[in-house]
Amino acid sequence: MYSLILLNGGIGSRTGASQPKQLLKLRGIPILVYALVTADRVEQISQIVVNYPPQWREQIEEVLEAYAISTPVTLVEAGDSRHSSVAAMLPHCTNDDVIIHESARPLVRESDFRGLIESKHKNVSLMSEISFTVAPVDPETSEVTGSLDRDRLRNVQLPQKFSKSDLEASHERAVNEGIEFTEDATLVADSGFPVHFIDGSDENFKVTTSTDLKMAGFLLRPEEDDDE
Amino acid sequence: MSKTALVTGASRGIGFETTRRFILNHDDITTVVMFARDSEDFDNNVKELEKELPIGRKLVPYKVDVGDRSALKKAVKRAYDEVGNIDILVNNAGYTNPVPLQQVKMADFEKTMEVNVYAPFTIIKALLNRGNTFDLIVNIASTAGINGRSGWLTYSASKAAVINMSQVMREELSIYGTRVVCLSPGRTATALRKTLAPDEDPTTIMQPEHVAQVISTLSSSVGKFIDSENIVVRQ
Repeated sequence: MYSLILLNGGIGSRTGASQPKQLLKLRGIPILVYALVTADRVEQISQIVVNYPPQWREQIEEVLEAYAISTPVTLVEAGDSRHSSVAAMLPHCTNDDVIIHESARPLVRESDFRGLIESKHKNVSLMSEISFTVAPVDPETSEVTGSLDRDRLRNVQLPQKFSKSDLEASHERAVNEGIEFTEDATLVADSGFPVHFIDGSDENFKVTTSTDLKMAGFLLRPEEDDDE
Repeated sequence: MSKTALVTGASRGIGFETTRRFILNHDDITTVVMFARDSEDFDNNVKELEKELPIGRKLVPYKVDVGDRSALKKAVKRAYDEVGNIDILVNNAGYTNPVPLQQVKMADFEKTMEVNVYAPFTIIKALLNRGNTFDLIVNIASTAGINGRSGWLTYSASKAAVINMSQVMREELSIYGTRVVCLSPGRTATALRKTLAPDEDPTTIMQPEHVAQVISTLSSSVGKFIDSENIVVRQ
């Protein structure tokens, strides 16, 4: 069984809204609800650990109650960074395997979670191909320093699954060495544990800006809008 | 597959005929919870239908006035505790007292809204809050909700609200994969129709079993291919 770490502690400064973006409405429903309801349908997820921005616990609890999420939920106050939040949520996970997702990716599908669970590897991330060219540069001198083969690069997505012990060891190492990662697949790989990827969908993007919010709303519109 | 349905206004008319079709002729439905006010019709019809029940199929009648919100909430809780998840919900119970605008009594307008609008909302909300996942919700509106009818202000307004509310439910509940269908029957030979048109010969208009047949088809395996925000059923 799996514990789901649902990152939900952002304050949404980039959406420019007066409340955390996970509480903003996407087609009339708080963004947080989409990932919760989807994860709730995955029977192998037996616990959901959700963090919340300081001062917003009550609102998050209201959503959890109204939508009657049947998987047991553990609430944890968010840390200063994503990295520290994961570290703070890990000890609350009661299973040996964890899945990390973030509520700002509301278009996650049940099959995304199931794909990770069915993978034979223990540390796996959804990743998508990069459809554009990236270049290494020196930002100081504005000089292009070479080229990168995009076939050997991937856009790191969530959800990801990890063995709890590998993830804990990686976070412990990060603390000892005073380093911080923006996500966990590269942290765990950099710490020497094998991490694999499976192909994710480009629709499972992170809602960060108000434009992302509009795009997500467009993708979630009823299918009959496409009918002839 | 064993499914449970809940039908309101199940003592007679469209509600009873829907219950009958569900429990006798439906491939998947094995339990039907019937909500209706206490009446002789209810007792007799349940008794008659029970005589025909195939093995393994069950009727669960509840005497409740859906216009009494507190009693309705209690009945929903009891039904959920007794039968578990409600897969198919048919919000059929209706009320009307057609009078001209100048004679509408506020209390009566409120009763109309309570039975026709707040009751379906209350049942759905109460069940969702308990973690119920619906396959299908059928809200019975009326063609009078599409175009207001002179002399039927309260009824027309309430049914317009049902049509609109169903559109919202259809979108919001899509996250669970729930289908929400609004059905607007035209003239149907029911007790409510008798109140609206007392001089009409009921044998000349659509019968409750015709509407029940449409509801049953909507809840069958091909039902998902019949998709519309507001299905009009008329003769």
